Amino acid sequence: MKGLRLFPLELGRLLQSRLTWLAALLTVLSPLTGLFLYRTTSAGTMLSMYLADPAVAGGIVGGILFGLLTVFELDRSARSRVDVLLDAAVSPLCMALVRLLALTAAAALTAGITMLVWLPISRGLIGSVFSGVDYVLAYLLFMGLALPLAILAAASAYQFTRRADLSLVLFAAFAGLSLTVWADDWQLCWLNPCVWALSDDFTNFRLFRSVAYMRLTWLAALSGLWALSRLCVRQYGKGPLGSLVRNARRAYRPAIALLLLACSGTAYAAQPFYDDSDPDLSAAQLYELDYAQGVTFLNRTIQLMPDTEAGTVAGRAVYRFQNTSGRGWTAYFGLDPGYELNASINGTELPAVRTGYEESNMALWELSIPEGEQVELELEYGGFPKDWNISSTSQGAPEVSGVYLCLENQRLAPYLLNVLPGETGYPTTVEITLPASMTAIPFGPSDASVIAENGDGTRTWRYESSSRGGILYAGDYIREDIEAGGITIAFYYGRKHQAVMEAAGAAEAVKAVVDYCTEHYGPLSFGAGGTLKLIQSRVSGGGYAADGASLMDEQDLTAADLEDRGKGASAGEVMIHELVHQWWGLGNMFDSAGDASPWSAEGLTVYTTYRIVKALYGEAYARENYIAHWQQVVDDYYLDFYVRHPEHLERLPEEARLEISNSLTYVRQYCEMPLKILKAEALVGGEDALDQILHDLFVRELDPAYPYLTYQDFLDACGLKEEDLDLA
Amino acid sequence: MEIHIQNVGMTYPNGRQALKDLTLDLRAPSLVGLLGPNGAGKSTLMKLLVAALSPTSGSIQVDGRPLAEAEGLLKAQLGYLPQDFGLFDELTAAQFLDYMAALKGLPAPRAAVQEAIRAVCLEERAAARIRTLSGGQRQRVGIAQALLGGPRLLILDEPTVGLDPEERIHFRNLFSQTAQDRLVLLSTHIIEDVQSVCDRLVVIDRGEILFTGTPAQLIQSAAGHVGAFWELEAAQEEGMHITARVNTSRGIRCRAVAETLPPYAQREEPSLEDAYLYLISREGDR
Repeated sequence: MKGLRLFPLELGRLLQSRLTWLAALLTVLSPLTGLFLYRTTSAGTMLSMYLADPAVAGGIVGGILFGLLTVFELDRSARSRVDVLLDAAVSPLCMALVRLLALTAAAALTAGITMLVWLPISRGLIGSVFSGVDYVLAYLLFMGLALPLAILAAASAYQFTRRADLSLVLFAAFAGLSLTVWADDWQLCWLNPCVWALSDDFTNFRLFRSVAYMRLTWLAALSGLWALSRLCVRQYGKGPLGSLVRNARRAYRPAIALLLLACSGTAYAAQPFYDDSDPDLSAAQLYELDYAQGVTFLNRTIQLMPDTEAGTVAGRAVYRFQNTSGRGWTAYFGLDPGYELNASINGTELPAVRTGYEESNMALWELSIPEGEQVELELEYGGFPKDWNISSTSQGAPEVSGVYLCLENQRLAPYLLNVLPGETGYPTTVEITLPASMTAIPFGPSDASVIAENGDGTRTWRYESSSRGGILYAGDYIREDIEAGGITIAFYYGRKHQAVMEAAGAAEAVKAVVDYCTEHYGPLSFGAGGTLKLIQSRVSGGGYAADGASLMDEQDLTAADLEDRGKGASAGEVMIHELVHQWWGLGNMFDSAGDASPWSAEGLTVYTTYRIVKALYGEAYARENYIAHWQQVVDDYYLDFYVRHPEHLERLPEEARLEISNSLTYVRQYCEMPLKILKAEALVGGEDALDQILHDLFVRELDPAYPYLTYQDFLDACGLKEEDLDLA
Repeated sequence: MEIHIQNVGMTYPNGRQALKDLTLDLRAPSLVGLLGPNGAGKSTLMKLLVAALSPTSGSIQVDGRPLAEAEGLLKAQLGYLPQDFGLFDELTAAQFLDYMAALKGLPAPRAAVQEAIRAVCLEERAAARIRTLSGGQRQRVGIAQALLGGPRLLILDEPTVGLDPEERIHFRNLFSQTAQDRLVLLSTHIIEDVQSVCDRLVVIDRGEILFTGTPAQLIQSAAGHVGAFWELEAAQEEGMHITARVNTSRGIRCRAVAETLPPYAQREEPSLEDAYLYLISREGDR
């Protein structure tokens, strides 16, 4: 109680110090480093670049500054001998708590000021996809919580050692560990959370939750450590151990410290975000299980009720089998490792055994099915889906929120591993109940339709499928139907992205590209039944396509991406560029020798973009904005000293070396290769001749039996040698 | 307030024994002067009384309760001025006293601060940053924080160091007034300070109490052991401690204390300083 009474007093004194204000000022400015010096994200979304990066950098710099301030403040009363007066008035243990609270309050005040200062800046930089909730959560979790952690760590170091120099060394080592050795361990990097991307158009609650979990785990650990170090606060002229023994006489003090440490340890060990899948990525035991003899899959129905507030999934699936073997058999299911499973068969409860083996983000479950010809197996499952541990630093795939949801295979329903399909595959009926604002989009040829408007603001959707697993997207989507290339493109994009899409002329770009590419190279093979779903996904690091649907990563269509001059002269042209990737570059079509190799999906995509723009806006426009631009970039680039003398690159600092080598990748793939293709166009006899060659290559690559499309394949198809396309 | 110190011993971790089996009773109202040479154990005793140190043996009771239990209560009633202390330089004198008043949990801190500032004559510099104050002014801020709220127990370790004679007299009188209804423990090297205000003296040397009683009793104990003589007449004698040498037109006149005065020495009335030196020298000789 006394501590709480003294807290405003100590805070007032702390705020009188110039050093406090210096630390606060530098902390407020520190997000600048995230804009210009330190980037933690690898995605190009607006929130990644202009929110996550500044907030994480602010947390790192602010944490270090407040750690230093803490050591200085704790040491100064001893250094200046004020402590003899203070100790005579108040217990040093009480003062330790008061100082911690005051420093934490100063940090909270600083974080608050930082948020206020950066609000208009972030809003301006991020544009129409700015979200107040994301802004507050990012600054609170990525930056704000770093400050008290740093204060606790520095205060603990000082209370243990009572020496400023040693405390600074310990604190620097602790921060250094987070920034280096622990940087790739999402649970250990207490200062610099693993934030690889923030979605502009959908939610980020999964990532926010995991960072919050990491921060709270560390908060418990460092609070426990601090509580332990507080027992070592020197009293009665004793050393650290003597003080510890004396102060620990009141049993609740060490008990609180140990309880906090135990909580932290438990939280660390029982983290709910990632699985324990076999680290050997080539392991395929789940797919090598023997099929049950005499057992045939008949059909199944799945009912899903995701809890979009909690981010959890609850489901009920009924599987029907025919067993002609005359014996009992074992059914194996792969299920998201975060789910639990209960089973009953023909109305009787059946033990479901979790084997303990996990592979490829699936936990193996085993069910002993008794003898019987007609089997109706009812499975109730659900829980908080877990990410695959190989992506622990690029989290967020199983996002489940009221704005976005993606359930793939074992997250959608128990994935049957050892029963052969019937004649029609794995006929499945899926029903899912979602908030009314969400649209369910099965990834595949089938369409979901609303079968019930529920009174609680939800709607139930139903669709049919015949695949063993299946992928379901749902979100607050806008759908535009576009007739192009002889098919209907159902174009789904996030409602938040509407302004950006309209500005880029998305519908027109889709039509132009699909018409052009279908005519010149051939129809996309994954269009089914005359329709193709083109779905904008939450940021995921890439797109993919399958029968009847194609996915576009939102980061390919951000406002910043649409301004990328290298991809197109205007936002609409960048949109064209990204859509052309549906022909050139989706899946594993291309293989190149390395990052610096000119051959990649980008060369053909940029070239095709140029061709479409030429058809739309005329040759003069295309020549000025594409060919002249490529030539200018290439000419400038080869004038660079280090490009002409790469042997000197080694003498440069790593950062400068990387900058040059990264620009090499861009120039060679986005500018040099299109020029080479343009030269090939001239050598093979013009546009029509090259279009035929590309058409043949595209059609060939649609056959999965063919390997990657290589540069040599392209040269062979053109009847050219590599040197024929030299630009010099 | 009553403090009962029973067989207290204090040995520092480095093995130095600062106090040996010390027993002492202190009771308000009283102004107790604590005298002793450097390293005698005065500051250690004071630190034990403010719970900055814990005795290695014996016990201290405050109003009948062990100090370990009554520590919170003691701190709430304590004004302490250590010999070596610091202040928050970025604060003004008044802000620092506000801060200390709040730390002590005083019911009317503003009035207490104003009163303390007046008591130490710091009104003109109250709004000045501490970093701009002179040594004497900082000492006055230190005294003011000890006086805040009229503590029932005031422990002052060398409070008048750095003050000019006029200020010393002012503070002597202030401590004397304060002790009318409280317990004040005053440690000093300046015998004059003690003589004029203390009603009780405790003399410590090498961790042991050599004397406890009134100044008059201490003076009385030296009667017959103080003498004066001309240096020319004196022989080198052991056990005689010169306390003063005064140059006169007739030569150098010496004043000395000794267990047995030599025949050429003329007996003098002892002063408190003589008595203190006699006591210390006698113990030293033993």
